[in-house]
Amino acid sequence: MNTDRLTALAISDTGFIFDPVTGDSFNANAPGVEIINYLKSGKEIPEIHDLLHGEYDVSSQELEADILDFIRSLKNHYLIS
Amino acid sequence: MITIAVSGINAMDNPGPGTGIIRALKESPLDVRTIGLAYDSMEPGVYMDHLVDKTYLMPYPSGGMETFTDRIRYIHSVEKLDVIISALDAELPVYMNIESELAQLGIRMLIPDRKMFDLRDKTRLSELASEIGVKCPAYVACSSRGDLVKALKKIGFPCMVKGPFYEAFKAESIGEAEALFEKISYKWGYPIIVQEFIRGREYDLVGCGDGEGGNLGLFAMKKMTTTSLGKVWNAVSISNKRLTDAAEKLLTRLSWRGGFEFEALMEEKSRDIYLLEINPRFPAWVYMAAACGVNLPERMVRFLMKMPYERGSNYKSGKIMIRYTHEIVKDISDFEQISSFGELEYNPVRVEQHKEAA
Repeated sequence: MNTDRLTALAISDTGFIFDPVTGDSFNANAPGVEIINYLKSGKEIPEIHDLLHGEYDVSSQELEADILDFIRSLKNHYLIS
Repeated sequence: MITIAVSGINAMDNPGPGTGIIRALKESPLDVRTIGLAYDSMEPGVYMDHLVDKTYLMPYPSGGMETFTDRIRYIHSVEKLDVIISALDAELPVYMNIESELAQLGIRMLIPDRKMFDLRDKTRLSELASEIGVKCPAYVACSSRGDLVKALKKIGFPCMVKGPFYEAFKAESIGEAEALFEKISYKWGYPIIVQEFIRGREYDLVGCGDGEGGNLGLFAMKKMTTTSLGKVWNAVSISNKRLTDAAEKLLTRLSWRGGFEFEALMEEKSRDIYLLEINPRFPAWVYMAAACGVNLPERMVRFLMKMPYERGSNYKSGKIMIRYTHEIVKDISDFEQISSFGELEYNPVRVEQHKEAA
């Protein structure tokens, strides 16, 4: 998974994301921001799952589905490939 | 005080760059007197007394070079112009022809020469694009309906139908394309460019070339919203190295002299840049760059007046431009003055006195 484009993103505390290279902007919730930050630091999906599972009261399957859904969103916006 | 004449003060739904240029100059530390060069009495810049000190009506360039030059000579005899900033494509060829004559009068301009101007013509974009490392949508230049038919078969739909100087519209059918061809050619002449429609977002870059391959600054933005005419209404500043590198290569390749606008599309997935147009003057949104710290009209004037000037392109991304409509109310006597006498002054100054003081 190529996450190079994530490194340029400016992310505010409220989850507002601005890409200074394209001028695009997005909104993400707190878990979404965490996932982006984990991806930027080079973590893979299984590790991200484990880190979030310890933080949120949610089943493992549900969490995995949500993470994959969010990853799909990032791909749809061509932020990761 | 530096006296600067600026054209393109038609701040309407298809705004000219003039009022933005003048605003950038007025907000700079330079002591300037601004002279508007208008082609119509109802150009809003004529009445914007907070920006334009005096306006003169100009004859259309199509009326003949001699008439045009005579008018400039007359204005110069009154105002003692230091600089002219031409902001309209259609008048630029005339200024290119008379630039040296104006220089002998003491009027400075930073504009391209004929060779540079022709090299960035819409009909030559593909060769230029490959030289500067960007892509270019396929296009065909049309000077007749027969050309148009062949072009539409080659390019397909949707396509863009564009004038030689201004205006570009999307066409989804033969009927639409034909109607646009007639409308644009009636207004601007030929050739009409039929260009491949690329799905992507629009980006623009403004800069000023120094005539020796370098630049006085570059500024890029992404269009956030546009009008029905495709003109930017809201924009956000960006930092895109591929776009900036392409513009720098362009300036080096052409040894570009003067203001320019680099219009591009960015394909979303690949972020490949498609060159759409290179406009040979500052765009109407040039004030956005000035407000973000890259005041290109100021730098151009300083360069021409041999004053110290900045060259950097340091600005923050994430600055948004919000365009809005605004009304001013003037007396009909102002309209009388400009329409009957061809001149309207709001901020008189004794020219002899301010030139001596300089």
